[in-house]
Amino acid sequence: MVIMILERVTPGLRGELTRWFLEPKAGVFVGRISAMVRDKLWDKACRRARDGGCLMIHASDNEQGFRIRSWGKTARAIKDFEGLFLVRV
Amino acid sequence: MRIKDLHVLPKFSDGWSYLYVEHCRIDQEAQAIAIHDETGKVPVPCAKLALLMLGPGVSITHAAISVLADHGCLVVWCGEEGVRFYASGMGETRSAVNFLHQARMWAHEKLRMKVIRRFYQLRFAEELDPELTLRQIRGMEGVRVRETYARASRETGVPWTGRSYHRGNWSDANPVNRALSAANSCLYGICHAAIVSAGFSPALGFIHTGKMLSFVYDVADLYKTEVTIPVAFQAAAAETDSLERQVRMTCRDQFVATRILKRIIPDIKTVLMVHKKDVSCDSVLFDQDAAAPGALWDPEEGEVEGGRIHPLGTYEAGEDCGYHDS
Repeated sequence: MVIMILERVTPGLRGELTRWFLEPKAGVFVGRISAMVRDKLWDKACRRARDGGCLMIHASDNEQGFRIRSWGKTARAIKDFEGLFLVRV
Repeated sequence: MRIKDLHVLPKFSDGWSYLYVEHCRIDQEAQAIAIHDETGKVPVPCAKLALLMLGPGVSITHAAISVLADHGCLVVWCGEEGVRFYASGMGETRSAVNFLHQARMWAHEKLRMKVIRRFYQLRFAEELDPELTLRQIRGMEGVRVRETYARASRETGVPWTGRSYHRGNWSDANPVNRALSAANSCLYGICHAAIVSAGFSPALGFIHTGKMLSFVYDVADLYKTEVTIPVAFQAAAAETDSLERQVRMTCRDQFVATRILKRIIPDIKTVLMVHKKDVSCDSVLFDQDAAAPGALWDPEEGEVEGGRIHPLGTYEAGEDCGYHDS
C-alpha cells in the first residue's frame, strides 16, 4: 500500500494523482500500485510541487517495515537516525 | 499512564532493533517521550524499540526513563570508551516461568552440560560427536572463530593481527578492533533486551559464568561470526571518519538481513529446551493483570493457590474452611 500526502500543490496535480489513488481527505492519497509506478508518480509529484511539499509512505523490506520520503516544504521533516527514520516536529 | 495489560506491547520480534542518540535531551512529551535538541523535537515510538543507546552528551529525565521501562525498552548508556551502563525495567512479561526453567537447567549439572552442547551445536553446521569433551568443543570453536576473522580479512583486505583493545584507551585500538567493539556493543544490547523481554535472567550464564551479563555473552556468541565480525571488517574497509556510526548503520542492515530479532528468543528457547506446553496460563493472566496473586511453593503439592488465607492443618477438598480472600 502506498500513501501520499501533498501540501499546497495545484489542483491539477491532485487531480492527476486521483487517476491512480483514492483521495479520502484533501491532499491524502492512498492506493496499491507497483514499485515502478510508485517511483514514477513520486518523481512527477516532486517535479510539479513547486512551493508545496510531498510525502510518501510505502511498505518496504527494512526494519521499520515501511519507508518515508519527503520533498519540498513539508510541515515536518524526516530525520535519519543511522537508518531508523523518525519525524522532527 | 502506566501499562496495565502487557499484550498491547508489540512482540519483541516485530520491533525495531536500536536507536542511538548523542548530544540531546530526552524528556517525557505528551504521554510519550521525545528527543530534544537545538533543531527541535523528535517523538520516539518507544513501545516499538528494543534498545535505546545513549551516547555522550545525553541527559534524560526521570519521567522518560519511567516511560521507557514501562514499555520494556532497554536503556544503555554507552561511552566512547566502551564503558556501558544498563538500565532495564521489568521486561515484557510478569511471569517468572522462563526464569524458573532457566534456573532449573542451570542448577542441574547434567542438564547444564546438555544446554552448553546445544549452545555450541547451533554454531556448527555438522552434528557434534557426543564423544567430544567440552575442552575439545572449545578448541573447535576457537578454530571456527579464527577462520571467520581470516576470511573476513581476506574478503575486505583489512589486515588482521588479532583481537586487541585497551580498556583504558579507546582510540589506541586499530580501526577494525574499534569497529568490533562498537558492533558487539549493539549486539549485546539487543540480546540483553531479548533476554529481559522474554523473562530470562541475564546473569545465569551456561558457558560464561561469574558476571551479571554472563547469559547475554552466551547468547550474543551465537551471532558474532554471522553478524558482527563481517560488519566490523566491512566498516573498517570503508575508511570513513565516523567509524562507529558506520558500524551501527551496517549492523542495522545486517540485523534486518539475518532477521535476528525474530531468531533470538526462539534460539534461547531451543537451547534451554523450553517447550510450548511448559508455558503456563499464569503468564497470560499476570501479563493482563499485574495484581493477580501468584502461587505459593509447597514441598509436597508443588504449588498451592496464593492470595488467600490457608487454614492451619489439613483440610479436605470441597470442605468449607471459612477462609476468605485476603
